[in-house]
Amino acid sequence: MKYLKVIIILVLTAAFALSISGCGKKADGPVKVGVLLPLTGSKAKFGEMEKNSFELAKEKINEARTKAGLNKIEFVYEDDTGKPDVGRAAMEKLVNVNKVAMVTGGYSSSVTFAAAAVAQQYRIPFLVNTGSVDKITEPEAFNLTTDDGDKFYIYRLNPPVSEYASGLESLLREVVKPKSVFIIHENTAFGTKGAEAFQKSAEKLGIKVVGDESYSGGTVDFKPMLSNAKKLNPDMTYMISYVMDAAQLMKQARELNWKPKLFVGAGAGYTMPAFKENAGVASRRMVSATLWHQSLPIPGAKEYFDGYIAKFGGDGPDYHGAEAYAAATVVDDVLKRCNGNYDAATIKKALDATDMMTVFAPVKFTSYGKKIHQNKVETYVVQWIDGTLKLIWPKDLANAPFEYPIDWTKIWAK
Amino acid sequence: MELFLQTLVNGTLIGGLYAIIGIGMTLIMGVMGIINLAHGQIMMIAMYITWVLWQFLGIDPLLSLFISIPLVYVLGDLMARYLLYPLMEKESILPENQVLMTVGIGMVLVELARTIFTSDYRSVQTSYSDIVWRLGHISLSVPVVIDFFIAIAFTGAMFWFLIKTDIGRSIRATAQDKEAAILMGVSAKKITILTFALGSSLTAAAGTLFLPIYYLYPDVGPIFTLKAFVITILGGLGSTVGAIAGGLVLGIAETFGATYISMGYRDAFGLIIFLLVLIFMPGGLKSLTKV
Repeated sequence: MKYLKVIIILVLTAAFALSISGCGKKADGPVKVGVLLPLTGSKAKFGEMEKNSFELAKEKINEARTKAGLNKIEFVYEDDTGKPDVGRAAMEKLVNVNKVAMVTGGYSSSVTFAAAAVAQQYRIPFLVNTGSVDKITEPEAFNLTTDDGDKFYIYRLNPPVSEYASGLESLLREVVKPKSVFIIHENTAFGTKGAEAFQKSAEKLGIKVVGDESYSGGTVDFKPMLSNAKKLNPDMTYMISYVMDAAQLMKQARELNWKPKLFVGAGAGYTMPAFKENAGVASRRMVSATLWHQSLPIPGAKEYFDGYIAKFGGDGPDYHGAEAYAAATVVDDVLKRCNGNYDAATIKKALDATDMMTVFAPVKFTSYGKKIHQNKVETYVVQWIDGTLKLIWPKDLANAPFEYPIDWTKIWAK
Repeated sequence: MELFLQTLVNGTLIGGLYAIIGIGMTLIMGVMGIINLAHGQIMMIAMYITWVLWQFLGIDPLLSLFISIPLVYVLGDLMARYLLYPLMEKESILPENQVLMTVGIGMVLVELARTIFTSDYRSVQTSYSDIVWRLGHISLSVPVVIDFFIAIAFTGAMFWFLIKTDIGRSIRATAQDKEAAILMGVSAKKITILTFALGSSLTAAAGTLFLPIYYLYPDVGPIFTLKAFVITILGGLGSTVGAIAGGLVLGIAETFGATYISMGYRDAFGLIIFLLVLIFMPGGLKSLTKV
């Protein structure tokens, strides 16, 4: 009996040792890359578009990798449900349980910032592709300085929210020339910081800010705020919202018969196809800042757009999808330059050296102001004209003329 | 003055709709003594039923009340009969476990909806959904006004049912004193299941009415569960009249706070009223009436 026990223990130990060495052999398997996205919850629609784009990119990448005899890339999706605490836990899981080589994704600002703190703590490279609050790439927010580039593991390929309106500024300066603006924003990090940034832009352009109101996402009735805004009679309104709040806001603005010269959205919800579908008539002639448009002269942009529609149907992706697709290609490029050595330090070095073209924009991580590891991106202006999103600014890239001034009575009629 | 009147009108209209959201929960709370945390999810199911009928069969959301209410009634009956009542029968099972069961039911419903309909946002556009009436400078959105009157009608009918009919009296008796009601020949099982089904179908009515003015996705429920919970406590647990008053108070308080102080704290105004009621009127608004 005694011998039996000893044998059992020996066998178990051997099995255990084998299983450990089995783990060590993973170098032959696919390279795991974590992707943090809101796949359920109220922001799931954005998460779905980004996940689809990652999958679309993965097919292409792995095909090329197989041909070249490289390891495939495996994206490990983790759902942050749009909540910062869940985002933190999801990041911990990606790092500790899935043992990913690096992480990408990151949709809403507050979630991305919370998850970035975890990535920084574990020193795992985190390539943010959508979360846009400025502090994500400001080492100051992580108790580091701008000289600590070698200790800072967060990189971002999309512009920060303070730069979303840079393309819009020239449109306002040259064409619209408004005297006053009313700002409406969601009371989240993305909304509040975006509103602050636009106040600064307005000051620069000599536009008077007559009001600045926030709301919480998912509100049923926006009329109290909209009636107040209407009373102040601003020339234009600037709105920072996610997609369904955007639709509700415009529907109710139309109900209240509020007619400023221009309604301007700050990207996010206002460029999504779901905005047009749900706001209906009220979405017509809405103007929005955007980071990307399929008609831009970027190699691969149109192919990506058409490929997405062919595979998933619908109206095609907006800039969120392009960011995700670009993140996947950057990950592929970075990992190729690691020469099979997927530890954090090597990946980080490869990220630092990134200089490539993606379907979204050129990607190169630079330092300026308080930010490091930040990609500089141009921004554009789009308008909903006859049911499609048209690029209207800058003029030399536009695929449709800017419809202005707008006769709301006619446009909003059924 | 215009702004004041517009605010009052909007607050009352929203309040009427809040009342019908709260009434289903308060009914279940009164008889079963549990908070139904699947409340918002049941509303979501009714909204999807309404959406499917509109999208694929072209049935007007208001007409689909006649379909969504019976369907959800059956669903509520089945949930109560096979999932909740078995937990009530066993003395050894704490009432808390029924609440946990409703959480579980809610999760299953959300994921079912996500599997079938994906996370897409849906809304319905009816011929009248964009029409606005203007009385002087006050604007009234037609779908909201229609919804308001239907909600009032339902609430009134529910009130009449509870006060005047035999079953209604049995429900109230069970809510007031279960043991005594059983001794008087009321079947506790029958009443419990009936109440849950009835509460669910009222919630379904709320969902169907909300769809034309709001939007829909699988995770829409918790917003409404929270509202219903506040209304239920505000009105006094288990009181229909209380729920009506609670809904109106919440709607008006939120709207006035949002107009005159700040939109960003809209939900906070409702919750401040909620705290004040808890402190100064622990029984809720129902303690002002005898019903």
